[in-house]
Amino acid sequence: MARDYDHLFKLLIIGDSGVGKSSLLLRFSDNTFTGSYITTIGVDFKIKTVHINGQKVKLQIWDTAGQERFRTITSTYYRGTHGVIVVYDVTNGESFANVKRWLHEIEQNCDLVNKVLVGNKNDTPERKVVLTEDAQRFADTMNIQLFETSAKDNINVEEMFMAITRLVLDSKLEMMKRQNVTQNDTVNLKQKNKPGKKNKCC
Amino acid sequence: MLAVHQDVINIVQAKFLSAEIVKSIHLNVSALDETYNDDNRILALVEYNKTFALFVLISARKKPISISDLCIETVIPIDEYFSCDTEPIEESQSHIIFIITSKKIKLQFKIEIGIESSNFASEVIRSKEVSLYNPPVFVWLDKYIGTMSQLNRNSDLGEQSDTPIIRQRITQGTTAINRESMLKYQLKLKEPEFTEKQEFTIFVGTWNVNGQPPSVSLRPWLCYDESPPDLYAIGFQEIDLSKEAFLFNDTPREAEWQKYVMEGMHPKAKYRLVALARLVGMQLAVMINSQHYPYVKNVSYDTVGTGLLGKMAVWQFGWSYITPPSASVNCHLAAHVEEFERRNQDYKDINARMNFKRNPIAIKDHEQVYWLGDLNYRITDLTTSQVKTLVARKELNKLLKADQLNQQKERGNVLLDYTEGDIKFQPTYKYDLNTDIFDTSEKARPPAWTDRILWRGKGIYQVEYRSHMDMRISDHKPVSSLFKSEISVVDPLKFRKIHEDLLKKMDKYENEYLPQVTVDQTEVKYDLVKFREPQTREIIIANTGMVPAEFEFIKKLDETSYCKDWLRIIPYCGSINPGETCEVKFEVTLETSLQNIYDILVLHLKGGKDMFITVSGDCQRSCFTSSIAALCRINVPIMQLSEEEWRLAENNESGVLYSVPREIWLMVDHLYRYAGTVQAVAESLLLFLSYTKDPVIPFELHDTCIAAASNFQNCRQIILQRVPDLHRNVFLYICMFLQELSKYSNDNGYDARTLPLYSVTSCSGIRYVTRSRKTAGASRILSIISS
Repeated sequence: MARDYDHLFKLLIIGDSGVGKSSLLLRFSDNTFTGSYITTIGVDFKIKTVHINGQKVKLQIWDTAGQERFRTITSTYYRGTHGVIVVYDVTNGESFANVKRWLHEIEQNCDLVNKVLVGNKNDTPERKVVLTEDAQRFADTMNIQLFETSAKDNINVEEMFMAITRLVLDSKLEMMKRQNVTQNDTVNLKQKNKPGKKNKCC
Repeated sequence: MLAVHQDVINIVQAKFLSAEIVKSIHLNVSALDETYNDDNRILALVEYNKTFALFVLISARKKPISISDLCIETVIPIDEYFSCDTEPIEESQSHIIFIITSKKIKLQFKIEIGIESSNFASEVIRSKEVSLYNPPVFVWLDKYIGTMSQLNRNSDLGEQSDTPIIRQRITQGTTAINRESMLKYQLKLKEPEFTEKQEFTIFVGTWNVNGQPPSVSLRPWLCYDESPPDLYAIGFQEIDLSKEAFLFNDTPREAEWQKYVMEGMHPKAKYRLVALARLVGMQLAVMINSQHYPYVKNVSYDTVGTGLLGKMAVWQFGWSYITPPSASVNCHLAAHVEEFERRNQDYKDINARMNFKRNPIAIKDHEQVYWLGDLNYRITDLTTSQVKTLVARKELNKLLKADQLNQQKERGNVLLDYTEGDIKFQPTYKYDLNTDIFDTSEKARPPAWTDRILWRGKGIYQVEYRSHMDMRISDHKPVSSLFKSEISVVDPLKFRKIHEDLLKKMDKYENEYLPQVTVDQTEVKYDLVKFREPQTREIIIANTGMVPAEFEFIKKLDETSYCKDWLRIIPYCGSINPGETCEVKFEVTLETSLQNIYDILVLHLKGGKDMFITVSGDCQRSCFTSSIAALCRINVPIMQLSEEEWRLAENNESGVLYSVPREIWLMVDHLYRYAGTVQAVAESLLLFLSYTKDPVIPFELHDTCIAAASNFQNCRQIILQRVPDLHRNVFLYICMFLQELSKYSNDNGYDARTLPLYSVTSCSGIRYVTRSRKTAGASRILSIISS
């Protein structure tokens, strides 16, 4: 069948309500931003195709409701996800404190998945309460890449999405390589077996 | 190719109004359907006022000869739901499956691969793209629906159908819009923006080597020109005439000749092989100056045998430095003077059957084509000695007039749009080996220009056209032509930019075409919910997207239904057309004891997003759904109790203790006193007994009761020993009342058999079990005890 992409990945955006998950997606997919806040009640997705190392990667990016009451339902959407974007609001300490819970949520619902940590609303320094150093230290201990973005001012958004896509793509290529190696092993084993069989015949 | 079917098009056109234009047709189509196996279908693409429809016509004969041979089987409007695709057939190289999907219908046809099919498919795809830009109106198709054969009459035409298309494919990365073909088409339109013309020198050479192995350097031929060409296309014929080469299509000569070619190329540049193809004794190699090599893309080739013994064979390379690609064709057509018609046919066959596997376009669709080879056309109507004399006198013009290729070309029989340069060299066939002397053997064949090079396409300038007399190992002389050709070179940066922009556009397009709805409220709140008093709320789902939205309330993980049993959603699934709305009723009915109701519903759009709708409300406490034990502990109506008093009653801690609930006593008393006008109270009593939190005969005793139903003593024992006190009180109280009632059976018409049955089927004792036997068993218990 005709396909206009080389890879198709599902990405998931999670994080507390109001940290700007939908805004990040809108900025990345449509390059637009709306100041009015519409809380997401459900899950929605958008399509975006990007080029990485000459390969066309089609992304299906899912935006989820952040409200606490939806958490058990949204967790069912983690299935089949290749990459997760955990978002907090740099002007809201609580949303940063909750990142741990979101990471735990990923652990509970996904097997092996790539993650990035995103501090959004990084556009008004005087309102910033989650310091970059603290976030970076936390990200380092969790072994996650940190991005500070602003969907409003279009800072670092593209870079962040490209980074997680690259991580996912690398994982996939790595896995394919490993599978190839295993397959080669299998072939080798068979070849070793062959003379044995012959001996039996003789 | 269309011209071939022009007669059929005219017949098909007669089926339609003159404003409805038959754009393209495809003959000999067979439906992939168990009921049909003929190939007498014709697909016709018809345009009316910029809207398109695909007609499937059944023809009475393979090729219709009059309008009465045709009847319309199906009409498929080419609208937003329309898509077409192809799928290979595993066991067949020659045919593919052509799949047409529309709103309600999926048709599959088997068609032969070829120019006809690729032309037709590209016309259909183009019409689909046109329809995406102008929302089509299909009223004009209505008149044809009536003429359709019965079978399919209900099958399509969007408006009246209510089954929406399946859009799940979007989530799998494929859509109804064929993104790949859209992309190709758009890129083609934008080609001038990312390409620039560059001039390349191209050396095209052909040599029939008469089965001889290579033994001399090819430099006199390949390095004839001072400066090195950018590209070589070298064709050989008859490199191996052995049976083995023919039978196994394998010959050591391939490598030998290629080695000589690689060594024989211009020393002033380095060349790399782009591709090499061989069919039996024919070989075509394309080499490019290595500085250009990295830019060569999409190389593909194919070979076509046209005739017995592999004598006639052809193949072709497409290379695109360049979009669209150029091609070179090396061919060796049928031999002998009298076979010119056969040669014409070979040429047609090659054109018809050549099919690049990786890049399936016809030869004629290449931007530039170089046609080289031993075309084998001879000189007619002149004897060998006449030809030799004219050659010796250098009166080539007279000879060229007698050249069959020139004659056939003039008549439009072969190589119609191809150009050949002026021939200024003497005939290249047939020479005595290792000499420049024309055939002196017994056969004394007349000399001929069998070896030719022609071209087709814009921007090609022939610098020189010559033969190489000093190559003497074959009975043919090699021929070569040097071209300066303008080739569109892709600017990779510009291309990438445009490509990315197009993808962005298509992403946007795809996102816009995802189903979209809004709901007027995501939180449905109810007033105080009372026992068996249904409340209804409505939400309005509005389709704000561009495609029909198929919605469904879906169950959450680990749940058995999409909503709790106190809620009914009407309708729970459906389809909404763009711009339209759908009212969905949420009806809550409380029949169990709950403090409040709360649930989050998942409203799913097929191929799109999910929305969460929260349903909530407080519930009123009711004696109907309370436990018998708790009710025995209250001495006022349940509504008058405070929370604390009710809690005490439920925990058996209140100071009150009746032997049966007040409510039962009151109702039975009422029935007893006011016999005759008691319908409402009687029903209330039955309801009461049906809905108590725990049934009169506890759940865990149900099976025991049924087992004991035939035995009075056992039943008695169960009631007296195993049923909890308060429940036994209720049971005996009701039984005694029934007994009392039966005394007056003459007046009320009830007897000992019907009475308990009547009350039991309303489930006083046993509940939540399948009706049939178990209720009957319970009624037996009752009747035994009450008798």
